[in-house]
Amino acid sequence: MTLPILSLITFTPLVGVLALTVIPSRHEEIVRRTALGFALVAWGLSLLLLVAFAFGPGGFQFNETVDWIPAFGIQYKLGVDGLSVLMVVLTTTLTWISILASFGPIKERVKGYMISFLVLEVGMIGVFIALDFFLFYIFWEIVLVPMYLIIGIWGGSNRIYATMKFVLYTLVGSLLMLVAILATAFAFQAGHGGSWAGAFDYGQLQAWAAGGHFANDLQILAFLALFLAFAIKVPMFPFHTWLPDAHTEAPTAGSVILAGVLLKLGAYGLIRFAVPLYPFAAHTFAWPIIVLSVVAIVYGAIVSIVQPDLKRLVAYSSVSHMGFVTLGIFVFSATALQGAVLQMINHGLITGGLFLLVGMVYERTHDRTIAKMGGLAAAMPIWSTVFGFFILASAGLPGLSGFVGEFLIFVGSFGVAPVIALASIVVMVLAATYLLWMFQRVAFGALSDFLRGLGGHLTDISGTELVTLAPLAIGIVVLGLFPSLVLDLLRGPAQSFLAAAGVAVGG
Amino acid sequence: MTYLIPLIPLLPLAGFVVTGLLGRQMGRESHQIAVWAVVASWLVAMVVAFAALAHGFGIGDGAGITLWNWIPALGFKAEMGFYVDALTGCLLIVVTTIGMLVHIYSIGYMAHDPGKWRFFAYLNLFMFSMLLLVLADNFLLVFAGWELVGLCSYLLIGFWYPRRSAAEAAKKAFLVNRVGDMGFALAIMAIWTQLGTLNMQAVFKLVEGGGLSSTWVAVVALLLFCGAVGKSAQFPLHVWLPDAMEGPTPVSALIHAATMVNAGVYLVARCNPIFGAAPGVMVVVAAIGIFTAILAASIAFTQTDIKRVLAYSTLSQLGYMFASLGVGAWTAAIFHLMSHGFFKGLLFLGSGSVIHAVGDEQDMRKMGGLARKIPITYVTMLIGSVAIAGVPPLAGFFSKDEILGGAFKSGFLWVWAIGFVVAGMTAFYMFRLMGMTFWGPSHVDPEVEQHIHESPLTMTRPLILLALPAVFLGLLIGYPPESGLLHQWLAPVFEATIAAGGRTEAAYSFLGIDGGLAIVTTLLVVTAIVAAWRLFGVDMPAIGLHAEPRPDRVREVSARRGLDFLYRGSSAKWWFDDLNNLLFVVWGGRLAGAVWWFDRVVIDGTVNGIGTVTTQAGLGLRRVQTGHVQNYALGIAIGLIAMAIGYFLIAVR
Repeated sequence: MTLPILSLITFTPLVGVLALTVIPSRHEEIVRRTALGFALVAWGLSLLLLVAFAFGPGGFQFNETVDWIPAFGIQYKLGVDGLSVLMVVLTTTLTWISILASFGPIKERVKGYMISFLVLEVGMIGVFIALDFFLFYIFWEIVLVPMYLIIGIWGGSNRIYATMKFVLYTLVGSLLMLVAILATAFAFQAGHGGSWAGAFDYGQLQAWAAGGHFANDLQILAFLALFLAFAIKVPMFPFHTWLPDAHTEAPTAGSVILAGVLLKLGAYGLIRFAVPLYPFAAHTFAWPIIVLSVVAIVYGAIVSIVQPDLKRLVAYSSVSHMGFVTLGIFVFSATALQGAVLQMINHGLITGGLFLLVGMVYERTHDRTIAKMGGLAAAMPIWSTVFGFFILASAGLPGLSGFVGEFLIFVGSFGVAPVIALASIVVMVLAATYLLWMFQRVAFGALSDFLRGLGGHLTDISGTELVTLAPLAIGIVVLGLFPSLVLDLLRGPAQSFLAAAGVAVGG
Repeated sequence: MTYLIPLIPLLPLAGFVVTGLLGRQMGRESHQIAVWAVVASWLVAMVVAFAALAHGFGIGDGAGITLWNWIPALGFKAEMGFYVDALTGCLLIVVTTIGMLVHIYSIGYMAHDPGKWRFFAYLNLFMFSMLLLVLADNFLLVFAGWELVGLCSYLLIGFWYPRRSAAEAAKKAFLVNRVGDMGFALAIMAIWTQLGTLNMQAVFKLVEGGGLSSTWVAVVALLLFCGAVGKSAQFPLHVWLPDAMEGPTPVSALIHAATMVNAGVYLVARCNPIFGAAPGVMVVVAAIGIFTAILAASIAFTQTDIKRVLAYSTLSQLGYMFASLGVGAWTAAIFHLMSHGFFKGLLFLGSGSVIHAVGDEQDMRKMGGLARKIPITYVTMLIGSVAIAGVPPLAGFFSKDEILGGAFKSGFLWVWAIGFVVAGMTAFYMFRLMGMTFWGPSHVDPEVEQHIHESPLTMTRPLILLALPAVFLGLLIGYPPESGLLHQWLAPVFEATIAAGGRTEAAYSFLGIDGGLAIVTTLLVVTAIVAAWRLFGVDMPAIGLHAEPRPDRVREVSARRGLDFLYRGSSAKWWFDDLNNLLFVVWGGRLAGAVWWFDRVVIDGTVNGIGTVTTQAGLGLRRVQTGHVQNYALGIAIGLIAMAIGYFLIAVR
C-alpha cells in the first residue's frame, strides 16, 4: 500500500488539535507555536503533493478508497486532479499564514481559537479532495462550525448578528444541497436496479451523467439546489450581503480564510459537481448565471467605491472579483475556465494580503474608517509600499497574477459573445477607482488628525508581518510572469470539465 | 544581434530593483546605480537602433527574440518576446537618449529631495516599462508596457504625495488612461478571437492578406485608437495631462512630453496595416488629432503656469502627429514624434531650470527679465521655442512642414487649414511664454530675485545636449524633405500600407506646391512671433519693433476687441474639467451611493426580512405550546373532525 498522502494532509491538523488539547491553555505561546507547527507540516505535505503530482494525464491521482457505509454505497474516497491540488496548496498556505498573523492580535482563548482554525483546515482540505458526494457534504458542513465560532467569539462588536447571518444563510444552501445529493443518489440507484453501489461515487455519478441518464427535471431541480448552495458561498449577486457583515466582524485571520478559501469552496463545487453532474441544467441556466456574474462584477465594484470602511470595501471588491470566477465557469470556454481557476488563486493571494494589511492598520489604530486615515505613506512607508503593491495586483496590473486570470476570462467570454466582455470591461476603470481612491485617502496627504492623535503607535510593519505577506507577494509576481505553473496543471481539469459539460474543446 | 535586445529593458529593471531595495541606505549616492543602468541601456540601444536603421547586422527589416511562453492557456497564447525594426529603432533613440539626459538632469534637480532614491527607482521602472512597450512583439505585451508606464506616471505625478493636488492629479491620470485602455483591451480580445494570434507581425500579415473582415478591421482600429487617445491625451481624454504637471519637472519632460505620451502615436503607426485598411477610422484619427491640436493651442494662449503652457503645447503637437497619421503621412508623424521629443524635452527641462532659479515659482506673471540671469537656460529654451514654432531650418520646421504638406497633398484640406492656423498659434503662445519669462521687466519677488542663479552643470549640460538635435535633427534626417534618411529608414515599415492605399508619395517640389506651402507657413509663423514680441517683448528700435510689455496682455487685448468670451473659455480650459467633475465625480458618486442604498435596503433588507418573519412566526407559534393537556386534546379533536369532514367530502365525490 502506498503512502495515503491525502489523508495525511487532511488529518495532520486534526492531530494538531489532539496535541493542543493536552497543552494547558495558560501556555499560550506553546499553544500558538504548536498550531503553527502542524499547519506548517500540512503545508509541507501539500507542497510534496504538488511536486509528486504527475502533470501530464488527466483524471484523479493519489486515490484512496475505503468503504464507509456499504449499505448505501457511501465511501471514504479521496483523490486529486490539478484543480484540487492547487486548492489544497492554497488552503494550507493561507492557513499557516492566518495562524501566524493571529499571534499578536488574538490574546484571549488562544487555545480555542487555534483548535478552531485547525478543524477548519481539515474541513477545507476535505472538501477539495473528497470524491464521494456524501463525504463532500460532511466536510462542507465541518467548515461551517469553526468559522461560526471564529467570527462569533473573536469577532468585532456586531459579531453575533454577522455570524448568525453567515451560518443561517449557508445552512439554507447546504440543506438544499443535501436534498439534491440524496435525490441524485436515489435516481442513480433506481437506474441501477436498486443497487446502491456507486450512488455517491463521483466517478460513477459523472459517468452516468455523461451518458445522459439523469432526467432533465431531476437535473433542473438538483442543479438549482446545488447552485443556490454554491452561489451563496461564492457569493454571487444577489446572495452576497452576508459577506460584508461577516468580513467586517471577523478577526483578520478569519477574513483571510473566508476570502481566501471559503469563497473558493462555492466555485469549486460549481466546477466539480454542479456542472459535470447536471450538464443539461447547467446549459439551461448558463445565460442567467452569466448575467448575474456580470452584474456582480460591475455592481460589486460600484458599491466598493462608496464604502467608508476598509474591510467592507475589500469585501465588496470580493463580490466583483468572484463574479469573474462564475463568469469564467459558465461561458464554457477552456480559456475562461483556466482563467477562472487562476482567478480563484489570485483572489486568495491578493485579497488575503489586503485583509492582512488592513488588519495591521486596525491593530495599530483600532479603526478602519477610511475618512480617519491619511498620510500613512510617510508614517508607515514599508506598509504603504506593500499595500500599494497588493492594490495594484487587485487592480489587475500586467506582470502580476490578477491580470492573467482576468484577461483569460475576458478573452474566453469575448470568444463566446463579445457583449459579455463589453459589459464587464468597465470594471477596469471602476476597480482602479475604488482601489486608488482608497489608497490615496489612506496613504497620501498629510498625517490625519486622528492618526496624529495616536502618537507613537504607528510603528511600521514588523518582521513577522512581512513573513505573512511575503509568500503571497511572491506568488503574485511568479504567477504573473509564469502563469504556466498553474495553467499546465489545469489543462486536464479544464478539458474534462468541458467534456462533461458537453462542449467541444480545441487545443 | 537580437540577443542584445532583452538587455535594453532589463538593465533599467535591474536598476529599479536595486535602487528600490537599497536606495534608502545609499543616501546621497542613491542615483548612481539608476543613472548607470540607463547609460548602459542607452549604449546597447544605440547599437541595436543603428543595426535596425541600417537594415543589417542581423536585424535587417526586422528581427525578434522570444524569451518564454508567457501565457500558455488552452485556446490562448501570448509570448514574452521582443521585436526590433526601423520604427523601433527610432523610438529607441528618442526614449533612451532623452531618458538618459533626464536621469542626469535629475541628479541636480532632485539633489535636495529626501525621496531622491524613490524618484530614481521610479524613473528606472519607467524606462523599463517604456522600453517594454516599444520592444514588445505582441499586443498583450505592448499592453503590459502600456499599463506599466501608466503606473509609473501615477507614481511620479503623485511623487510629492503629501500635496493633495499631486495625489488627485495622479489618480486622475491613471483613471482617465484606464478609460482608453478598456478600448485597447477589447481590441486585443477582438484580434485574438478573429485571428488566433497576438504576434503583431503575424497579425499584420493576416490583415494584409484580407484575413479580417472590413467591419472587424474598423472595430479593431477604432478600439486601438481609444487606447491611443487615452495615453496620448487626445480629446476627449486630454484632461489628465495638464494636471500631470504636478509631478517633478524632469518627469514632465520625460514621461509627459517626450516618451510616454508618444505611445499612442507609436501604436497607431505600428498598426499601420490595420489602420490603413480602415479608411473611415483614419478620418476619425485625423479629425480627433487636428481638433485636439487647435483646442489645446487655444488654451495655451491664456495659461499663466509655465508648465501648463508647455503641457497644452504637448497636447497640441501630439494632435499634429495624429492628424499626420490620419492623413496617411506615417513617416511625418514619426518624424514629428522624434523632433518634438527632443525640443519639448528641452523646453520642459528648461522650464525646470527656470522654476529652480526663481524658487519653485511656476506662475509666469511672477517672472520676467530672466534672460541675462540664467543665460544658458535662456538660449537653449529660445532654440527650443524657435524649433517648435517651425522656423527653418530647425527640426520643427521640417517635421511640421511634412505634416501640413502631407495633409494638403492627400486631399485633407480641412486638416491642412486647421493645422496651418495652429502653426501660427504655436509660434505665438511659445513666444508669449518666452516673453513673460525672460524678457521685459522683472516681476520676480525681490526676496527671491537676489538668489536667482543659473542651474548646476548636471542640469545645463542636458539642455545643451538636447538643443543640438532641436537644431540639427531636421537637416540630418529630414532633408531633403520626404526623401531624407528617415524616409529611407522607415520605408519598409510603411511602404506596404502606402501602396495598398493606392497612394505613392508624390515627389517633393520646392518650386511647386510644397515650396509654396512652406513659405506661407513660415510667413505666418514669423508674423506670429513678431506679434508676440510686440505684446511681450522689449523695444527694439533698431529694427523698428515696438513693444509694451505687460504680463496680462492677452486678456487686455481680447477685452478691448470684444473677444473676452474666447478669453474666458480659453482660460477655463473650455470647461472640460468642470463637465467631467459634474458627470463622473458628482453624478457618478450619487449613482454609486444609490446602488449601495439599494444593496442595504432592498437586497439585505429582503434577507433580514426573511429572517425576521421566521423569528416572528416562531414566536407566534410558540403560544400553541401551552403545556395544558386540555388544549392539546382540543387540538387533536379539531384535527380529527377536520380529517373526517375532508374524507367525507372526498368520498362523496
